[in-house]
Amino acid sequence: MTSVKARILSLAAVATLVAAGCSTGGGQTSEPAASGQSISMWTFKQSHATALQKAAEQFTAQTGISVKVEAVTPDDVFKSKIQSAAQTGDLPDVLEAHAAGEDLELGASGLLADISGDVNDAWKGRFLPSTQNAGVLDQGRIDRAAADSPFKQAKAGSMYAVPFTAGAFGIVYANKEKLQAAGLSPDTPPASWEEFVAALKTSTEKDPQAGGLSLGLKVSQVGFNWVYQPLAHAYLGKEKFQGLFGKDTTAGFGSPDGVKTLDLYAQLTPYWMPGATTLGIDEADIAFAQGKSAYNVGGTFTLAFLAQNGMSPDKVLTFPIPPSASGAHKDIVMAPLALTSLGVTSTSKNRAAALKWIDYVTSPAGAGLVAKESLDLPATDLGAEAATLMGPELAALQKYFTGDPASTYDAGDTTFFPGGYDQVKPGDAVVRLSPLKELDPAQAGKELDAIFGAMWKSAE
Amino acid sequence: MATRWREWLTGWAFVFPAVALFAVMGVYTIGSGLALSFASWNGFTPEWIWVGLENYADLLWADPSLAPGVRRAAWNTLQVCVAVPLLTVLISLPLAVTLNSVRRLRGLLRSVYFLPYVTTGIATYYAWRYLLEPEGSINLMLRSAGLGSLAQPQGWLANPSTALWTLILILVWSAVPTATLLYLTGLQAIDPSMVEAARIDGAAPRQVLRRIIVPLLTPMTAGIVLLGVRDSLHGFQIFLIMTNGGPGGHTNVLALETYELAFFKGLAPTLGLSSALGWLLFVGAVLLTLANARLLRRVR
Repeated sequence: MTSVKARILSLAAVATLVAAGCSTGGGQTSEPAASGQSISMWTFKQSHATALQKAAEQFTAQTGISVKVEAVTPDDVFKSKIQSAAQTGDLPDVLEAHAAGEDLELGASGLLADISGDVNDAWKGRFLPSTQNAGVLDQGRIDRAAADSPFKQAKAGSMYAVPFTAGAFGIVYANKEKLQAAGLSPDTPPASWEEFVAALKTSTEKDPQAGGLSLGLKVSQVGFNWVYQPLAHAYLGKEKFQGLFGKDTTAGFGSPDGVKTLDLYAQLTPYWMPGATTLGIDEADIAFAQGKSAYNVGGTFTLAFLAQNGMSPDKVLTFPIPPSASGAHKDIVMAPLALTSLGVTSTSKNRAAALKWIDYVTSPAGAGLVAKESLDLPATDLGAEAATLMGPELAALQKYFTGDPASTYDAGDTTFFPGGYDQVKPGDAVVRLSPLKELDPAQAGKELDAIFGAMWKSAE
Repeated sequence: MATRWREWLTGWAFVFPAVALFAVMGVYTIGSGLALSFASWNGFTPEWIWVGLENYADLLWADPSLAPGVRRAAWNTLQVCVAVPLLTVLISLPLAVTLNSVRRLRGLLRSVYFLPYVTTGIATYYAWRYLLEPEGSINLMLRSAGLGSLAQPQGWLANPSTALWTLILILVWSAVPTATLLYLTGLQAIDPSMVEAARIDGAAPRQVLRRIIVPLLTPMTAGIVLLGVRDSLHGFQIFLIMTNGGPGGHTNVLALETYELAFFKGLAPTLGLSSALGWLLFVGAVLLTLANARLLRRVR
């Protein structure tokens, strides 16, 4: 009798544990998540670590599972720490990685677990539509990868991470006080590229040293990625824009259309902040926050950094890179892309608890809490509650995400790039166009075509 | 027999930690690095993909999106490799001779000239960046001295024609103290009676320097040049921190390219390429060292 009782109790215990394991995110997991457990997480963003630790306190109060969040910065240190930990078996349970790239590489390399069976449609449905599949490795990505890429060994349809933060590049921040001092409207963004360049001219004339545009061109690709690409997309339309990057150079950067887009970009040359090519991304943002420039280009995530550096969000006017008045589209909509994502490491012994934690921080309550603390937009669609959960300034940035689908620029669409695309090379060429003036638009077009031609050849 | 065995064991017990440390930290890492240069790996996958000599071929000529950048970086590296040791010797030798001959405040002056070595490192690179900014002290001094036309409105590191040479001068600034100290050591080892004898024979100070001191310091010069070449080939921190290879790739050097290939190519499998470039740098360093040793032997 005692033996039967013991068996019944054991079965009941197993059933309870399985039920607890199944309760995370509506998905299925094999290990239980129990109160008293402790999980670890690494992130490469300091601002996220503080916000996540606050969310962890709420999570612990609800579930009894404690979470230790550690920030490992900067990016190269984060990467080398993961490399070492992977070799020694010391990875944490959860990793926050760059979305739609780094997370997939980590997964395909066997460091992140496939969680496609755990993340059901209801969970996916929480996210902004354009970010939902950011952590899924699709067949197209595998096909485009170089022969020695770990993607070639991975299974299409594997999901290695869920989106965590989202946003868009190519957001211009303008200092309202400087606009007012230059006689420009502090509340009305320029309607076109031409108006933007004219406004830059006015602010630079008013204050030649601190009235220009800052951008961290020491990381040369930001000029190409954040300013040139949205501008060219709006000017040419999606099809011609994608054609610039193709093998056919008759439609490339050196074509009349391509040269025209480079000519538009080169109009910025007189208005860069002095020494812009020596500034990193953070340094350019800090320079703007310190009043050394009137305009600054960043992403939706820049607002948080400016606030950390003492610039109140209500002192800035934000708008996406304005389209040229003579271009195909008179409006620019920025498709939000997943910027960071959360994955469970394949060596985690606390998979169920880790999934439960990810489930919490991607729920409206958890995501809203992290967003408010970090001033970074979540990938979770907060809908009408956005302003309440995140605050008005952050919620306002979301307005650039909606509009005419035809004029929507999706920076996450990399299907038309050559395999092994190295963004530093076109970045350097565009820096040589502006601000260095070493190349004119036609020469820059030829150089860009040569760069992409070489990349296509290498990919073969 | 037992005593000999115990002695052998005791001897090994003493040297084993050092041998083991060298085996793990030295032999293993060097061997592993060399093997990696023949493989494709992103640092995460359990398996390496063996590619033979492909990485070397890609870096040198085969990959059209890689080889031209490596060649440009090699040209910049060569300029640094020649200019830094040369300027270091040209500045530190007269400085050491002067410091060796002064009688008053000798200790203070030596300390002052040795300061850059004590303070050198990452922090000083940041300090130099502030000095070289458009509104930094260098431009300010030039404008104050009526030499505003020489000032760089975009800063010294943002102008492609001044960026690399500015970095070279900072490298020289940080190399001169050690070189001066080495020369001072060499000068104090010279037998004063030789100099005295030359003077009695009517040799002018310039002739003493040229005919006696410089030849006797040749081994020291060889060492200083070697250190300069080594630092120029392997050092990337200054390029990473101050310009990141910019503006527009004008200050990219091979060591920085190696670092970028290892850590800044997303998670692409470029660690093998990075390792191969590291080994090419090693071969370059050995060749330059041999050439330098041969040249100095001939001079001596």
